[in-house]
Amino acid sequence: MTIWKNNHKEELYTVIIGCGRLGANLANSLSEQKQNVLIIDRSKESFRKLSTSFGGLTVVGDATDMDVLSEAEIEKADVALVVTDSDNVNIMVSQMIKEIFHTALVIARLYDSERKYVYEELGIDIICPADLSAMEIKKLLAKNEEEVL
Amino acid sequence: MKRKVLLMGGFHKAYALSASLIQNGYEVTVINNDYHNCHSLAELKSLKVIFGDATKPFVLEDADAEDMDIAIALTQKDDENLVMCELCKKRFHIKKTVALVNDPKKTEFFYKMGIDSVVCAINAITNIIEQQAIMDEMAKIFPIGVGGINIAEVPIPTQSPAAGKKLWEINLPKEVIIGCILRGEHSMIPRGDTRILSGDVLILISSDKQEMNAVRELTGK
Repeated sequence: MTIWKNNHKEELYTVIIGCGRLGANLANSLSEQKQNVLIIDRSKESFRKLSTSFGGLTVVGDATDMDVLSEAEIEKADVALVVTDSDNVNIMVSQMIKEIFHTALVIARLYDSERKYVYEELGIDIICPADLSAMEIKKLLAKNEEEVL
Repeated sequence: MKRKVLLMGGFHKAYALSASLIQNGYEVTVINNDYHNCHSLAELKSLKVIFGDATKPFVLEDADAEDMDIAIALTQKDDENLVMCELCKKRFHIKKTVALVNDPKKTEFFYKMGIDSVVCAINAITNIIEQQAIMDEMAKIFPIGVGGINIAEVPIPTQSPAAGKKLWEINLPKEVIIGCILRGEHSMIPRGDTRILSGDVLILISSDKQEMNAVRELTGK
């Protein structure tokens, strides 16, 4: 089964929850790579951020509602990206996707890194913008130091 | 030592619950993220009030969450209640966590995530209204805890189709048993060949969905 999947990389199905800057950006680039993408947001207005060439599906609805998740056929997704603007919503939705719909790879964005380790235990991959920024800044500082020396 | 309870979020519910818990000898701490609400809550005697968002670990730390015996999440939002309880459980190792859930479909999911007791207010209220409106004349029903089990008290009227029949002759739904028959001053534990008489009061133990059918079968209403 996995081998079959690897041979058909273009068949990957990704569900994105939250069409903010990050969600829309990811949706646009995955769609450009000809992957199957479905994006959920509770407001129709948010989909204006998608590029005109976006070839995926959009669903208007609250992703904390299980019916909306089933409508998106999330159980068939290879990847779920949970990137709404609320940490608590992201945590709950990720756990619902993992526990109820058994999607293999669930990645969630959390602004507050303090809660990170509680959820990594549950097999959810967590991305923290503050941690990533700090890492990048440290890298730049290190580079700067090297140059000065 | 006094048992310690932590109430997270909610205002009217937190107020009423704290008042009653304090009266029953518990030591209660509330966390609320609205400053005005905190002021109103602080009017309650011997209630400890913390201003902050209980989904943040450092706020729970301020509230000494690790010393609590019970944590109860009362906000309007399911996601907040879930996160609060999970933090209490996983990070502060509180033994018993209770969460309010608004969406009845999430009850099972909350249990699966390790919350010890999940209370669905909407379900509870609609059930009570239904029983008050429809069942009141026929039977008294007492819901028992989380298992979806009810105990019902059903008086048998004279015109009941069950009156005069033996238990095994009555076509009761599967998930219902008659636990006890009250006849005048006496009570008895029935067997299959026990005869039901009009004027008896039956004590039924039943699953949530079956008690209506059982009551109909027994009273003929």
